[in-house]
Amino acid sequence: MPPDPLPRQLADMAELLAQMCTAAAGALQRATIALLDCRERLAAQVVAGDAAIDALRAQVEEIASDALLFHAPVAGDLRAVVAAIRAAGDIERMGDLALHVAQVAERGRTVPAEVRDDFAAMDAIAVAMALKAAEVARTRNVVLALELDADDDAMDERHHHMFGVLMDEGWTHGVPAAVDLTLLARYYERFADHAVIVARETVYAVTGQAPDAIPI
Amino acid sequence: MRDAYQEQLDELADSLAGMCDQVAEAMEKATRSLLEADLHLAEEVISDDVRVDDLRATAEEKAFAVLALQAPVATDLRTVVSAIHGAGDIERMGDLALHVAQAARRRHPLPVLPDEVAPYFAEMGRVGCELARKAGDVIRTRDLARAAELETDDDAMDDLHRHMFTVLMDHNWSYGVGPAVDITLLARFYERYADHAVAVARRIVYVVTGRMPGPLTV
Repeated sequence: MPPDPLPRQLADMAELLAQMCTAAAGALQRATIALLDCRERLAAQVVAGDAAIDALRAQVEEIASDALLFHAPVAGDLRAVVAAIRAAGDIERMGDLALHVAQVAERGRTVPAEVRDDFAAMDAIAVAMALKAAEVARTRNVVLALELDADDDAMDERHHHMFGVLMDEGWTHGVPAAVDLTLLARYYERFADHAVIVARETVYAVTGQAPDAIPI
Repeated sequence: MRDAYQEQLDELADSLAGMCDQVAEAMEKATRSLLEADLHLAEEVISDDVRVDDLRATAEEKAFAVLALQAPVATDLRTVVSAIHGAGDIERMGDLALHVAQAARRRHPLPVLPDEVAPYFAEMGRVGCELARKAGDVIRTRDLARAAELETDDDAMDDLHRHMFTVLMDHNWSYGVGPAVDITLLARFYERYADHAVAVARRIVYVVTGRMPGPLTV
């Protein structure tokens, strides 16, 4: 069977990347529900579901390799293929981070009442960012891609705030809970970082430049 | 023509291996700045990180040039794609060394680590640097036995990482929440640093053998 034409391959990769982002968003959202509501079976479902995201990544890489092999793309098309390879790696990692949240929930750890809202907020920001990254992958909308930087600032603020709460004199839940929450907060923050990188990859594919160089 | 092509591939491998050496040195210095509360050294690591980022950009340009001008196939194509992945992993290792240095700077002049846990971090630093240097060797030599060593080293890192948590979760932990939070993140930085080094080596194994030796943890 002859390979698909390059434009078709590029479109397929964009669609797969968008699906990966949506899947990662869903995974994190369910992992957070499992964590906050102590639903261990839901957590186990998220853990089991991670393989599907890994499989999507393998599909992206396969199409990318075929594109390079059969079409030897140059310039913008080459950038688009390489950006897809890299973005797929970042989104797979987002899936892994959702999995890590689910694994904490699986171990039956509970989140103290005073930080529940913080985690719900970090979840909302991270999930919205992943869905936005899906939209960016699908539409190659550079302006939307730049929005993710501002979203990430909101995440960093929340993350920073968490440390304030944990380090406060009034923290009564002890060291083990603080250790768990430190890592959990880090997972959300890294998830958001990867969503930003996915959007940046798209900007790079479209414009050939890092987002910082775009005069918007 | 073929010679110029081979030269380009060799140059690409050299620049990646050079990045490994650079991030090994960064982690070595970062660990020392952490253990000795050395502000000057921490700042050096922090300001040097842009050099790793520049090296990544250079390596990627080389990879693009090979793809665009030579349209490689088979093993050569896998080599170039793995170089693009590898450059990202190694840059991230540089970022993690930077995070360690930032922790040392944030708490200066106080030490970040209680005496009791300092030796574990000295060991994590040693194992981490070793992993980065070995990853560089694997890129240069494609030595599969050397690549296998990274898996063992990574197990040692995982053991250290797990042990740190046991220490933190113990009832006898007497240093409070603040140091525990710092140590939790620091231990994670070393563990992730090691994971990225392993991923770099695994991709080389994949290039040479056509089979991925294990899951990519990054």
